[in-house]
Amino acid sequence: MAVDLRPAVLADLDAIMAIEEASFPTDAWSRESMRAELGSVHGVYLVAVDGETVVGYGGLSSPAGADDADIQTIALVERARGAGLGRRLMRALLGHARERGARQVFLEVRADNPVAKGLYDALGFEEIAVRPRYYQPDGVDALVMRLELPQTPAEPVVLGIETSCDETGVGIVRGTTLLANVIASSMDEHARYGGVVPEVAARAHLEALTPTLDAALAEAGIALDEVDAIAVTSGPGLSGALMVGVGAAKALAVGSGKPLYAVNHLVGHVGADVLADEPIEFPTIALLVSGGHTSLLVVRDLVDDVELLGETIDDAAGEAFDKVARILGLPYPGGPQIDKAAVGGDPTAIRFPRGLLHPKDAEKHRYDFSFSGLKTAVARWVERAEDAGEAVPVADVAASFREAVVDVLLTKAFRACADLGIPRLLLGGGVVANARVREEAAARAASQGVTLRIPPLSLCTDNGAMIAALGAQLIAAGRAPSGLVFGADSTLPVTEIQVDRLPSHR
Amino acid sequence: MLLALDTSAGSSVAVIDGDLVLSELSTEDTMRHAEVIGELIAGALGEAGVDGSRIRTVVSGMGPGPFTGLRVGIAAARAFAWGVGAELLPATSHDAVAFGEWEAGFHGPLLVVTDARRRELYWSSYDVAESGIARTDGPALCKPDEVPYPDFERVDATQVSAGALGRHAWAERQRGVVEEFGEPLYLRAPDVTVPGARKRVS
Repeated sequence: MAVDLRPAVLADLDAIMAIEEASFPTDAWSRESMRAELGSVHGVYLVAVDGETVVGYGGLSSPAGADDADIQTIALVERARGAGLGRRLMRALLGHARERGARQVFLEVRADNPVAKGLYDALGFEEIAVRPRYYQPDGVDALVMRLELPQTPAEPVVLGIETSCDETGVGIVRGTTLLANVIASSMDEHARYGGVVPEVAARAHLEALTPTLDAALAEAGIALDEVDAIAVTSGPGLSGALMVGVGAAKALAVGSGKPLYAVNHLVGHVGADVLADEPIEFPTIALLVSGGHTSLLVVRDLVDDVELLGETIDDAAGEAFDKVARILGLPYPGGPQIDKAAVGGDPTAIRFPRGLLHPKDAEKHRYDFSFSGLKTAVARWVERAEDAGEAVPVADVAASFREAVVDVLLTKAFRACADLGIPRLLLGGGVVANARVREEAAARAASQGVTLRIPPLSLCTDNGAMIAALGAQLIAAGRAPSGLVFGADSTLPVTEIQVDRLPSHR
Repeated sequence: MLLALDTSAGSSVAVIDGDLVLSELSTEDTMRHAEVIGELIAGALGEAGVDGSRIRTVVSGMGPGPFTGLRVGIAAARAFAWGVGAELLPATSHDAVAFGEWEAGFHGPLLVVTDARRRELYWSSYDVAESGIARTDGPALCKPDEVPYPDFERVDATQVSAGALGRHAWAERQRGVVEEFGEPLYLRAPDVTVPGARKRVS
């Protein structure tokens, strides 16, 4: 079920009343009261819709200029329960309360409804009073709960540090505005080895660290004093490389007395897109492709709900480009080299295998990727030609290989859009620099009615701005900072958007 | 006010005022440098009752030490100094051990030995006189059965005290002696081999 949230309109009244009456059989609101609520300017009502069907709703009263807001009601149809939808609705309502300037939010919950109470507890609400026998005719007590909304700058200035692979990235954002994005790459040092050498990358991070910090402040034209918080990549990535950023960010946060947000690198790639002019819409499918990752995600909420649909089971796509470049005698990194070599080549000249696209993989590996077999197939094809004394048609091999990679990546990504009913696709990661990926993605998006988003290339490759952007989103959502005990987690799952989060209230 | 950090063996952080160690927090855990460094710094500052902005010098233990852990402390020292606008003072980690021996009253030729993992050791030799310590050889890397200077007094250290490191580096700095470093004292090249000819798959 792919559920979207949208503001309720009067046309939703019948559907809302049906849920209201089914959910609260003894004390449902009247149709007139509900109609008045939907039309009120003093609050916000949202509906959760599955396609055209309303499956839940929630309402907030938050008069302009008032410090106090109230959650008026929230209900879901039976089949929509237990999937985190109540939480999403609540979070969206709390977001509206914050936007409307409320400082605290109150609600009442039936004392005999532990599921709802548990949700409110988890969101940080505290029980402050009991109204005896409030719910009639059942004579059930109401628990009054309150949430203090953290007062955070609407547009926090965040400095992000990224060291998960071979780019030392420091970025600075103000809310969703990019102020600086400075990257020091050790790529050249890895070229002679044909791939990223973790220890070489980690050593380079240490040397590039403070020069990159200096350059970022200079580019942003601000002093460190003006930075509200520090964000850093905790994982996934190369452990030794990550640890340079983690150690530096912790010391910087402690020394300067600023809050620290430890975040997920892959979610950061999605977060980069909040820096675009047009606001990003959720839910979205995200395809992240680089030398280290090939991951397909569904992002329902950037700070709260990211799910991994599939990932590579062997080589990352960028790695396959590097290895095939080597087979063709081309230098590292392989992506731009293959692109160059493919110019004038026939992408249909050789039908290389499409990994995990076979019907037998449609179940278990529906959204997973495999590029190891493709790489071997290219090597075999080249060896056969060489053995036969033929000249290897490099342009055709490069174009055909690239076509196989692009086909698999995009077939799976658009399949996810169709399966989940989400007509939005975001691309991220260094492989997006590949012209053919972008061109084919645009063509398929147009023909399948999918909105395609591709951040500028400097925000697609690893960078600190995306980490800062995600940190700013966490702050704007009222998230407490991370503690100081997190480490570098080379396999951090995408579901862990922020790590080591401190309890939100003391 | 001075902050000293060393992660060449375990992790150690100290806040020092002149020759006085106001606080020192350490762990001998050699596997969790990145996890502990933040709390050690915050704890040492807290125990000394000092705000980060009052730190004017950061002493950074440059090894020798196993590279992944060693780097955490150096990255932290550099970022801290950068953040508060303090002077950065790099120092050889073994000096802290020799300095400790001198303070404890030892005089004579001394060999400081620490674990380099992979069945190897780091060593440095010192002449410890009444007036203080002077490094005479090393730091260097060797196999356990090739440790030089067998007639020297040998100290196998499992911890490098940030308090000793900071006080020694500060005293040297007062004498006008500041050690120059290119990169940290890894003493090992990265593990890497240049790929040879491509292997056939068929």
